[in-house]
Amino acid sequence: MNPLAQPIIYTTMITGTLITTLSSHWFLAWVGLEMNMLAFIPILMKKTNPRSTEAAIKYFLMQSTASMVLMMAIISNNLLSGCWTTTSYINQPPSLMMMTALAMKLGMAPFHFWVPEVTQGTPLTSGLLLLTWQKLAPISIMYQIHPSINIHILLTLSTLSTAMGSWGGLNQTQLRKILGYSSITHMGWMMMTLVYNPMTTIFYLTIYIILTTTMFLTLNLSSSTTTLMLSRTWNKSTHLAPLMAPILMSLGGLPPLTGFLPKWIIIQELTMNNSFLIPSIMTIMTLLNLYFYMRLIYTTSLTLFPTSNNTKMTWQLENTKPMPLIPPLIITSTLLLPISPLLLTFH
Amino acid sequence: MIMHTPIMMTTLISLTLPIFATLISPYKKRSYPDYVKTTVMCAFITSLPSTTLFILLNQETTIWSWHWMMTQTLDLTLSFKLDYFSMMFIPIALFVTWSIMEFSLWYMNSDPNINQFFKYLLIFLTAMLILVTANNLFQFFIGWEGVGIMSFLLISWWHARTDANTAAIQAILYNRIGDIGLILAMTWFLLHYNSWDLQQMLALNSNSNSLPLVGLLLAAAGKSAQFGLHPWLPSAMEGPTPVSALLHSSTMVIAGVFLLIRFHPLMETNTMIQNLTLCLGATTTLFTAICALTQNDIKKIVAFSTSSQLGLMMVTIGINQPYLAFLHICTHAFFKAMLFMCSGSIIHNLNNEQDIRKMGGLFKTMPLTSTSMIIGNLALTGMPFLTGFYSKDLIIEATNTSYTNAWALFITLIATSLTSAYSTRTILLTLTGHPRFPALTNINENNPALLNPIKRLTMGSVITGFLITSNIPPTSPPQPMMPFYLKLSALCATALGFLAALDLTLMTNKLKMKNPSQVFKFSNMLGYFPTTIHRTIPYQNLLMSQNLALLLLDSTWLEKSMPKTISQAHITASMTMTTQKGMIKLYSLSFLIPLTLALFLMM
Repeated sequence: MNPLAQPIIYTTMITGTLITTLSSHWFLAWVGLEMNMLAFIPILMKKTNPRSTEAAIKYFLMQSTASMVLMMAIISNNLLSGCWTTTSYINQPPSLMMMTALAMKLGMAPFHFWVPEVTQGTPLTSGLLLLTWQKLAPISIMYQIHPSINIHILLTLSTLSTAMGSWGGLNQTQLRKILGYSSITHMGWMMMTLVYNPMTTIFYLTIYIILTTTMFLTLNLSSSTTTLMLSRTWNKSTHLAPLMAPILMSLGGLPPLTGFLPKWIIIQELTMNNSFLIPSIMTIMTLLNLYFYMRLIYTTSLTLFPTSNNTKMTWQLENTKPMPLIPPLIITSTLLLPISPLLLTFH
Repeated sequence: MIMHTPIMMTTLISLTLPIFATLISPYKKRSYPDYVKTTVMCAFITSLPSTTLFILLNQETTIWSWHWMMTQTLDLTLSFKLDYFSMMFIPIALFVTWSIMEFSLWYMNSDPNINQFFKYLLIFLTAMLILVTANNLFQFFIGWEGVGIMSFLLISWWHARTDANTAAIQAILYNRIGDIGLILAMTWFLLHYNSWDLQQMLALNSNSNSLPLVGLLLAAAGKSAQFGLHPWLPSAMEGPTPVSALLHSSTMVIAGVFLLIRFHPLMETNTMIQNLTLCLGATTTLFTAICALTQNDIKKIVAFSTSSQLGLMMVTIGINQPYLAFLHICTHAFFKAMLFMCSGSIIHNLNNEQDIRKMGGLFKTMPLTSTSMIIGNLALTGMPFLTGFYSKDLIIEATNTSYTNAWALFITLIATSLTSAYSTRTILLTLTGHPRFPALTNINENNPALLNPIKRLTMGSVITGFLITSNIPPTSPPQPMMPFYLKLSALCATALGFLAALDLTLMTNKLKMKNPSQVFKFSNMLGYFPTTIHRTIPYQNLLMSQNLALLLLDSTWLEKSMPKTISQAHITASMTMTTQKGMIKLYSLSFLIPLTLALFLMM
C-alpha cells in the first residue's frame, strides 16, 4: 500500500470505531460503523491478487447489508419511540433487527459464512485486524442495547455459533480459516451472557483479543498460512515451536491457562441464572475447537513432518522480521489465571 | 406249583452267559456267533413251557430278590414282574432275536468284528428283557437306557461313515428328549407316591393327575418315534440290516408303547391324556405313511412303515385298548423283522444296492425272498386271517366304534390305505418288471443261514396271529356288534390303497417323468421336518449367539453406540458445513430468511 495513504486509512479505521463507541446518538453510531468498514476495505486488499479482491468485495457486501438493516432498525425505533439515544430502551422489532444486523457484522451463525472466506483471502495482519479490531464497534453497540435484546434469539444465535464454529473448523488445514472458525465460536461464547452480565462479555472480548493477537503474530513470524507450513516452525524458529502449544491450548479454553478464565466466568454467570443445559452443550461443542487446535500442536511440536534431505537450517540464520510484542503477549495469554481476582473486579 | 417262574429266570440268566464268556477265550474264536445264536435258541425253547404254564394257570408272579438300596423312604430291590405282558413278549422277542442272529451269520459273514456284533446284539436283548420284566421304574430305566446305548453302538456300527455317526447321535438326542419325560414321571411318582414299584403306583390311582402321564407320553414319543421326535428312526437305517430288524422294528421302538401299556390303569381315568395320545398317534401314522410313499430306499420305506404302525399302537392306547396294542406289538414283530430280513437279502444279493428304482425282476431270481416279502407285506396291510389281520383289524374296528375324536379315526383309516399303497409300490418296484440292476450278478439265496430264519418268520407271519388270539387269557372284551360297513372299513381302505397304487404304477411307468410337484416334494423331504429342525433352528441359534457374543458387546456397545457414532456424526456435520459454494447470494439469503422469520414469529 502506498505509504502516504496508510496513515489516513488506519486513522480512519480507528476513528470510525471510536466514534461508534463514544456516541450516544444512533445516527453517529451508524456513521462510525460505515467509516470503519470503508476504511477497512483497502486494508483487506493489501496484496492485490484476485483472492484478496474477492474477499474484500464479500466483506463489503455483507457488512453493508448489515449496516442497512441497522439503519432501518434505528429509523423504525425512532418511529416507534421517538428516541435517538443509544442508552434508552428499544422496542422489540427494531431490537431484533439490530441484533441480527450486529450479529452479521460480528460473524455469528447463521450469518457466519463470510468469515472464513474473507479471513482466508487476506494477509495475516489484515486477518488479525479483521478478527480483533472489527469486533469492537459492534460489541460496543450491543453492550448499549443489552437490556432490550430478545434473550431467546440471542441464545439461539450463540449456541448455533458455537456449533457451526466447531464443526466448520474440523475440516480445515488452512490456518486463517481455522482462526476464522475459532472467532465464530468465541463470538458465540461472548454473546451468551450479554443479557445476564454484559461486563463478562467485555472481559471475554479482552482476553479473546489478546489470544488471537498472539496467535496471529506468531503465525506471522514464520509466515505460515497452512498446517504444512506450520510444521516447519521447528526449523525456522525452534524456540517458538513448543510455545505454540500453550497458546493454542489457551485459545481452546484449557485450564490452568488464561483462556479458561472467561469461559469459566460465563458458565458461572449462566448457572447462577438457572440455565444448565446451554452451558453444557456449548462446552461440549467447544471441545471440538480444542481438538483441531491440538491437531496444530501435533504438527508443530509433537511430531516432525517429513522434509527433504537438504533442508537448510533456517534457524541458524538471523531473523529479520520484526517480532512486536510476542513475548509479553505469550505470557499474558498463558499465565493470567493466578491473578484472576484482580481481573474480575467488575464482578 | 408255580414252575414257570424259575424256568423263566433260567431263561433270562442263561442269556447272560455268552456275555461273561467274552472275558475268556471263546470270544476270540470263529464259533462265537454260532454259540450266541444257539444260546438264544435254547433260551427261546426254555421260555416256551414257562409261557404255556402261565397261559394255563393265569398266575402272575413277581420275583423280589436282592435288595439294592434302602433309604429312609425308598426301597429299591431287583424285582421281576412276570405278568401277561412280559410272559407273552419274552418268547416272541427271543424267537425274533434267534432268527435275526441266524440271519446275521449270513449277512455279517465278512465282517472282521462279527463277534463284537453278536455281543452287542446280546447285550441289547438282555437290556430289552430287563425293561420288559421290570417291576420298578428304576430297573425299567436301566433297561431303557441300556437299549438306548446299544442302539447308539449298533447304528454307528460302521463308524467310519459320517452319516452313521450322525444318525447315532440323532437317535441318542431324540431319545434323551424323551428321557426328560420319563425322569419327570419318575420324580413325580417318587415325590407323591413314595415308591417306584408298579404295584404301588397302579393301585394308588385316586385322582387323575396329568403331569406324570404327560411325562410318560413324552418318553413314549421319544422312544417310539412319534411325530415331533420321529426323525431318528429313518436315520437309524444307517446301521446294518440285522440291527434295523431287531432294534428298530420289533423290540426297541416298542419300548415306549410298552411303557404306556404298563401304566394303562393310570391312563384309563384321564381323558386328556388319552386324547393327546390318540391325536399324537394319529398324526404320526398319517405323516409317516405319507412320507413312505415317495421314498426310494427300501430300508427307509420299511422304517416309515414301522413308524406308522407305532402310531397305530399309540392310537390304540388312546382309545383305551392297551391289550390290543400289546397284541399288535407281538404280531408286528414277526412280519416287520421278516420284511427287514428280506430287504437285507435283496440288498446283499444286489451287491449293496438299496434304491428300489434300481431293483426289479427279482421274483424269478429270488423266489423265497420275494414270496416271504409278499406274505410279510400282506400281513402288514391286514390281509384277512394272516397275522396282521388279528390285531390290525381289531384295532380299526375298535377305533370305528369308540366314542372319541373322529378326525383321528379318519386319518387312521387314510393311513391304513396308504400302508397298502406303499407296500404295493415296494413289491411292484422290487419284485416285478424288468431288472434294473447291473447285469453281472451273483444272486443266490442258497445259504441255510439266510433261508431258515426267513422261513420261520414267514410261518410266524401266517400262523401266529391265530395262535396267539386263540390262546391268550381273556382281556378287554372286543366290540361285538357294529354296522356292516364299519366292519368292512379296514378291508375296503386297504383294498382301495392297493388298487390305486397298482393302477398308478402300471399305467404310469412308461410315461415321461415330470418335475416333482409340491406334494411330492413334501412327502419326499419328510415334510421338511428334518430340514427345519436340524438345520434352520440350530443355524439361527448359532447366528444369534455369534451376534450376541461378538457383535453386540464388543462391536455395538463398546464401539459403535458411543464413540463411533459420535465421531461419525461430527465428521458428517463438519463435512456438511464446510462444503460451501462461496456464493454471496446464499449468504445474503441466509441473512434475509432468518431475519424475516424471526420478525414474523416474534411479533
